[in-house]
Amino acid sequence: MTRIISILKRINNGVAVTAGLALLACITIILVDIVLREFGVAFSGSEEISGYVMAAVTSWGVCFALTAKAHVRIDLLRQKGGDKMRSLYDLIALASLSYVAIYVAYRAWPVLTKTLKSGALSNTALEVPLYIPQSIWFAGWIWFALSSSVLLILSVLLVLQGRHQIVDETIGTGDEQ
Amino acid sequence: MILFTSMGLLGLLALSIPVGIVLFLLAFGVDSFFSPFPLMRGLGQVVWSSSNNPTLIAVPFFVLIGEILLRSGVAQRTYSALNAWVSWLPGGLIHANIATATMFSATSGSSVATAATVATVATPQAEKLGYDPRLFTGSIAAGGTLGILIPPSINLIVYGFLTESSIPKLFLAGIVPGIMMALLFMLATIVLCVVYPKLGGPKQHSSWREKIIALKSLTPILFLFISVVGSIYMGWATPTEAAAIGVLISLIIALAYQALSKEMLISSLIGTVKITAMIMLVVIGAYVLNFALTAAGVGRALQDLLQGLGLSATATLLVIILTYIVLGFFIETLSLMVATIPIVVPIIAQMGYDTIWFGILMIILVEMALITPPVGLNLYVVNSARKNGNMMDVILGSIPYVLIMLLMVFLLIAFPNLALYLPDNF
Repeated sequence: MTRIISILKRINNGVAVTAGLALLACITIILVDIVLREFGVAFSGSEEISGYVMAAVTSWGVCFALTAKAHVRIDLLRQKGGDKMRSLYDLIALASLSYVAIYVAYRAWPVLTKTLKSGALSNTALEVPLYIPQSIWFAGWIWFALSSSVLLILSVLLVLQGRHQIVDETIGTGDEQ
Repeated sequence: MILFTSMGLLGLLALSIPVGIVLFLLAFGVDSFFSPFPLMRGLGQVVWSSSNNPTLIAVPFFVLIGEILLRSGVAQRTYSALNAWVSWLPGGLIHANIATATMFSATSGSSVATAATVATVATPQAEKLGYDPRLFTGSIAAGGTLGILIPPSINLIVYGFLTESSIPKLFLAGIVPGIMMALLFMLATIVLCVVYPKLGGPKQHSSWREKIIALKSLTPILFLFISVVGSIYMGWATPTEAAAIGVLISLIIALAYQALSKEMLISSLIGTVKITAMIMLVVIGAYVLNFALTAAGVGRALQDLLQGLGLSATATLLVIILTYIVLGFFIETLSLMVATIPIVVPIIAQMGYDTIWFGILMIILVEMALITPPVGLNLYVVNSARKNGNMMDVILGSIPYVLIMLLMVFLLIAFPNLALYLPDNF
C-alpha cells in the first residue's frame, strides 16, 4: 500500500514540475507580447493563453497539493485527539474532499461535451478550438477525483490495520517541505 | 441562510476539512436548502470560468518571484544594508528586522516566507549581540505580515477578483497604510526601547561611506519593486504583465548573485505550484459559494438580517471587526479572508462603505491573524528559526505590534482617506 502511495506522490511531483514549466512558458509568451507591442505588432493572444494555463495549472495543481498535504486545514481540535481520533478527522477531511472532487468532475463533463458538440472556437483572433484547453482542465479534475479516491481507500485500509502513523504522514496535517 | 452559512463554516472547519472544500460543501448546502431552482447544474461552468482567468495568473507569478528571491540570497544582503541605515535608532537591529521584512515582503507577497527568511538571517545576530529575544522575534513576526498590504499583494488580487474591484486601485490604496504601519512599528520600538532599554540591544553606528556602499545591495530589490508597481500605474502593463516582468527581473537578480541553477528553478516552480493550488482551491470554493449565495437571494436575506438587528452602520462594522479578531485566533490569513468575503463584503456594501477601503481594512485584520495565538503561522515560523527558545517570547514580543495594528484599524475608520486618497486621485 505504501508503494501505491509513493507512486501517487511521484506522479503528482511530475505534475507539479510540468505545471511549473507551463507557467514559465506562459511568462515567456507574455513578455514576447509586451516586446512586440512596443514595436507596434499586435499579437494580443497572451491574455487568452494565460487564462487557459491558469485553468490547467489549477486543476492539476490541486492534485499535487493533495499529496503534498498543502491544502489548508484548521487542525485545532484534531490536534487535541489521540491517534485514532486524528485518523478519524483525516478520513472525514479526505472523504469530503473526494466527494467534492468527484462531484465537480461530474459537473465539469457537460462543459466539455457541449464544446465538443458545437465545435466552439474562442471568440478571439486566435480562434482556439475550446475543447483543447477544456480537456486539459477537465482531465485535471478527473485525476483529482481519482487520486483522492484511491488515497481514501488506502487510508481506510491503513486505519483498519491500525497504522495511524502512516495515515498521519500521508493525509495528516503539516506541510511537507 | 446567512446563519446557516456562518455556522456551517465554523462547524465544518472545526472538523479539519480543508477550507476550500468546506466552501464547496456550503455552496451545495445553500443550493439544496435555500434555492428555488437547482444551481449546481451550472457548477462546471462556474469552476471553468473562475479558473480560466488571465488576472488570477498574476498570483502564481508573484508567488514565483518570492520563491526565486528566497533562494537567491537577496534577504541577507538587504538585511545587512538596512542594518547600516536604521540600526542607530534606539532598539538597534529590531529596526533592521522591520525594515527588511517590509522591503522584502513588498516584492515577495508571502508573509510566512518573509518571516521565515528574515528570521533565519536575523536570529543569529540577536544571540551574538545579546538582544532580548521577545521584542526581537516579535518584530520579525509582525514585520513579515506587511507583505500582503504593500503592493504587489496576492491577497489584494484575490480580494479584487472575488469582489470585482479594481486591482490597481486596491494596490494604490495599500501603499500609504502599509508604509504608515511600518513606520508606526518602528516608532513603537523606539518608544519601548527608550522607556525600557532592556527590551532592545546595542545600537549600531555605520559611517556614511558604509551607508552609501550598502545602497548598492538595495538597488535590485528596489528596482524590482519600482518596475512592477510602476509599470502598472504608468498604464503600461496589466497587473499580470507586470508580474511577468517581475519574474524576469527576479531571475536576473538570481543570476547576478550566482544563485540560479536548474535545481533552484525546479524547486521554485514546485513551491509555486503548491502554493498556487492551495490558494486556488480556496478561491474557487469561495467563488462557487458566492455564486450560490447570490443566486439564492442573499441580498434580501442580508437586508432582513440587518434590519432585524437594527444596528447602525458603525455598530455593524465594529461587530465585523470583532468577529475577524476572534476568528483570527484560529484561522489563517488567506483562508479567513476568502472564506468570509462572500458573507461580509455584501453587508459592507449594503451599509454604504467603500469596498476598496474595506479591502485594506480587512487585510490589516487578517494580518493580525498571522501573529495572534494559538494559530498564528508567523509566530511558529519565527520561533522555529531559533535554536532554542520558548514560543511565549515571540507571542509576548508581538503584542505591541498587534496593538499598533488595532490602532491602524481605527485610524482607517476615522480617516478613510489614508487608503482612498491615492486611488481617488491617480
